[in-house]
Amino acid sequence: MLSLVDIDLGYKQQIVLPKINLSFNENEHVAILGPSGVGKTTLLHHLYQQLSEQTCLCSQAKGLVDNLSIYHNVFIGGLARYSRCYNMANLLWPFNKPQQHISAICQELELTAPLHQKVSELSGGQRQRVALARALFQQQPVFMGDEPFSALDPLMGLRLLNLVKQAHQSVICVLHDAELALAHFERIIVISDGKVVLDDKANRLTLAHLSQHYALADTVKNAVA
Amino acid sequence: MKRTHLLSAGLLSLFSTFALSATFTFTAIPDADESNLRTRFEKVADYLSEQLDVEVKYIPVKSYSAAITAFRNNQVQLAWFGGLSGVQARGLVPGSEAIAQGFEDQYFKSYLIANHSVDIKSFDDFPVLNNYTFTFGSKGSTSGRLMPQFFIEKNLGKPVEQIFKRIGFSGDHSRTISQVEAGVYQVGAVNYKVWDTAVEKGQVDTSKVKVIWESPTYPDYQWTVHSGVDNDFGAGFKEKLTQVLIGMTDKDLLASFPRSSFIPAKNSDYQPIERVAKTIGMID
Amino acid sequence: MPRTMTFAGFSFVGHWQKITLLLLLMVSVCWFFADTEVIALEPWIELGRMGQGFIHPNFFATEYLFEALWQTISFALLGITLGLLLGFPLALCYQHPLIAAICAFIRAIHEIFWALIFLQIFGLSAITGILAIALPYAATFARIFSDILQQAPRHTLFSLPKGTDKLSAFIYGRWMHMYPQIVDYIRYRFECALRSSAVLGFIGMPTLGFYLESAFRQGHYEQGGALLILFVLLIGSIRFWAKPIFLWLYLPLAIYFLPPIPAIDGQIIWRFLSVDILPPMLQGQPFLSWFDIDILSKVFDWAYKLITQQVFPGMIATLVLAFCALGLTYLLTLILLPFNTRLMMPKVIILIMRAVNLILRSLPEYLLAFVLMMLLGPSMLPAIIALALHNSGLMVFLMARQADSVTVPLTYQPRIDQYSYLVIPNLYPHFMGLLFYRFEVIIRETAILGMIGVMTLGFYVDSNFSEIRFSGALLLLVFTAGLNVIVDYLARRLLH
Repeated sequence: MLSLVDIDLGYKQQIVLPKINLSFNENEHVAILGPSGVGKTTLLHHLYQQLSEQTCLCSQAKGLVDNLSIYHNVFIGGLARYSRCYNMANLLWPFNKPQQHISAICQELELTAPLHQKVSELSGGQRQRVALARALFQQQPVFMGDEPFSALDPLMGLRLLNLVKQAHQSVICVLHDAELALAHFERIIVISDGKVVLDDKANRLTLAHLSQHYALADTVKNAVA
Repeated sequence: MKRTHLLSAGLLSLFSTFALSATFTFTAIPDADESNLRTRFEKVADYLSEQLDVEVKYIPVKSYSAAITAFRNNQVQLAWFGGLSGVQARGLVPGSEAIAQGFEDQYFKSYLIANHSVDIKSFDDFPVLNNYTFTFGSKGSTSGRLMPQFFIEKNLGKPVEQIFKRIGFSGDHSRTISQVEAGVYQVGAVNYKVWDTAVEKGQVDTSKVKVIWESPTYPDYQWTVHSGVDNDFGAGFKEKLTQVLIGMTDKDLLASFPRSSFIPAKNSDYQPIERVAKTIGMID
Repeated sequence: MPRTMTFAGFSFVGHWQKITLLLLLMVSVCWFFADTEVIALEPWIELGRMGQGFIHPNFFATEYLFEALWQTISFALLGITLGLLLGFPLALCYQHPLIAAICAFIRAIHEIFWALIFLQIFGLSAITGILAIALPYAATFARIFSDILQQAPRHTLFSLPKGTDKLSAFIYGRWMHMYPQIVDYIRYRFECALRSSAVLGFIGMPTLGFYLESAFRQGHYEQGGALLILFVLLIGSIRFWAKPIFLWLYLPLAIYFLPPIPAIDGQIIWRFLSVDILPPMLQGQPFLSWFDIDILSKVFDWAYKLITQQVFPGMIATLVLAFCALGLTYLLTLILLPFNTRLMMPKVIILIMRAVNLILRSLPEYLLAFVLMMLLGPSMLPAIIALALHNSGLMVFLMARQADSVTVPLTYQPRIDQYSYLVIPNLYPHFMGLLFYRFEVIIRETAILGMIGVMTLGFYVDSNFSEIRFSGALLLLVFTAGLNVIVDYLARRLLH
């Protein structure tokens, strides 16, 4: 699907990940792990830019527009499917058809707040589900997520991960939760100190393998909580 | 065919100065009281309308320069100008004419007034004003700016900037009086009628401010009419208008200007004003 | 012995301290050169008359009062609407340096002078007043909206579905992020537009200012007092009568009830562009003869005389006046701010201060200067104080909102030391940003004080207009605008 050969990644002059070599295949579920600040998001954004034609990007809740309703925030995922006139009119007077569609998605995600509620009034977990709903509404074959389940409780997180897996052929996620990654992804990539230190099938790895490369303390704590 | 005709006529009327404006419009700013301008001058408009048998409208303006612009653009066809603004307006609209002036305007004059705290000596019948602070009225006024500046410069032989320590423009005759009364400026130039009226009505404390010099007389306010009125409102309109203005006898109407009556005038009456304005460099 | 880490005091002088010191230095230099003589006066008779006027305001002394009130609102509303229609598209291409420069130029010229220019073209017409508001406001909107939109988070745009059309991407991805700030700003500008609309009355538009200026100029203080009270009430009650829903009703009414508009005359516009704005020696000359040595040298003499006798003295006076006013605004705002924030004062005092602020920022500087002149004499001082009072009223109004939203620890006590440690540092960068923006505004406002006789650039512009010398007025306006563009540029450089 996509191969990176000797690519330097970073912002402006500052290269965070020099000479990266990675390739991604279709129908793969990949988790990217590593200590914070190491460049996982940089890598993910680069992947997204390469594959943006067929990908939806869902990152925590960063892309949400606080002043818009849940409905409109989810609708943003479908902007490319409609004409500009339709989009503008929908902003002033929401159409029925996308409303039904979006309402169904929200029910699946257990988002019970009314669709017209402003996103700024929601809790962290609710916001994250709005972001997920947007990704699902986008209907692309590839899903890329930047810690898309971090603000959800583990049970809910797992349920939504399965939903995401059902709806997309390929899933690439930056994750915090190593246990979730090991149990539910096929392939694990660990980045540390500016390079890829581990890239292997998940069923060949354990938490112990991962902890060789970075401190898992907070991950374990999260899992306990 | 007819429709295109109408359309082009409509377009033309949008873009042509000489579109037939059925309404005869005039403007006037009195030299003293500017309160209730519209109410007062709409009565004048009614009188003119009745006498001239055309619709007459009054437009209020704030300054002589605005009146000149309105006159130049033919937004008003008749204006009650000061001496200087009349000269400027007629210079901009060839063919326009001064047709009537106030009775008092044949021999108008200005006063120099001074605060009681200054003791001004006179030399050759003219006060020695060197190094005092001084205020004119408004920048475009004949009696509050043009003539006083001319007389001061002629008598003291220097431009005003070199005579006074500080020069201001109060913007209005009544404000000149109140500023000199309060000592904001030590000396000021004022329209004689405004001063006399204020003293008469007790609006000025004559122990604080007094007249120190009275100017020779000069022609001032006049009615100036646009060149095109005979075309627009029928032959002989200008003549008829002159007669109607001179025939205005209603005290109530005349009080708006305020003048006791109107008498005929002509452009050449204002040649002295034009010469003076050129001398002190207010017109080129 | 352990060495403790200490620094010489100088290393604590950070970015903002340096800017503040620079500002205060400039102000003291200008104050030294400013004409701040206080002249011993007997103002009490006249001030007594004014006081009487405010104690016994006469609300029935003004003819067509309701019409004047309505036209004040209607000019403001139409001016803002047109300004928005022009300003939005300009904001989108504001990144282009040419657009930014043109906008800075347009902004730099005071509404009054725009009106005086349009007066030559459209005559005494509603178009003159509305355009005089719309044009500079559009240029301001362009800049502010562009600044606001810059702050929109980028992430939404980044993660939008590929293939989203540009308009939808802009509206959903950027515009909606900043929508509340934009609406807030428009609301604030509406208040400004009401003031501008009233001030345009000074030169003949049929708004409140028309009667207000005459009343004060001619000493009809009962009438003036009543009009001023009405004006302050009108501005103070905006949020009750200017609800967005009503505006849709006002707008068609405003258009319907405009004073009759005289036909636009193409010849007059052409005459203005081809004759009036040319130097006198070029008027009526064929184009080719303009470049004769003889005529060129006359044009040069004309320009040289104007620049040495009016532009330079006017520019120096403008800058001196503006810097002094800026310094005083800075001090007054810092002093008044604690009295206006919930973090320092009980509710009662804040309510009283709100009223004081409202009056300070609603009063046109022109009238403040006029009253102060009676007290202090005709130097620059009344103008400095008037500008500082008006602008600090506005600054405090804007800063107090900001101060109230600062989050403080639970242990916070309303004391000056805690306020200085926990509140002021949070506000200071914004405060300085606002102050530098006000500097641009102050320079523009010195124009109107020129009309009462402080010899700023505005004084000379007004003189040229009243002597029917449009070419001179325009040359001066070009320099005025140039000065503002430079100040704007330097202020931005200093702040970023």
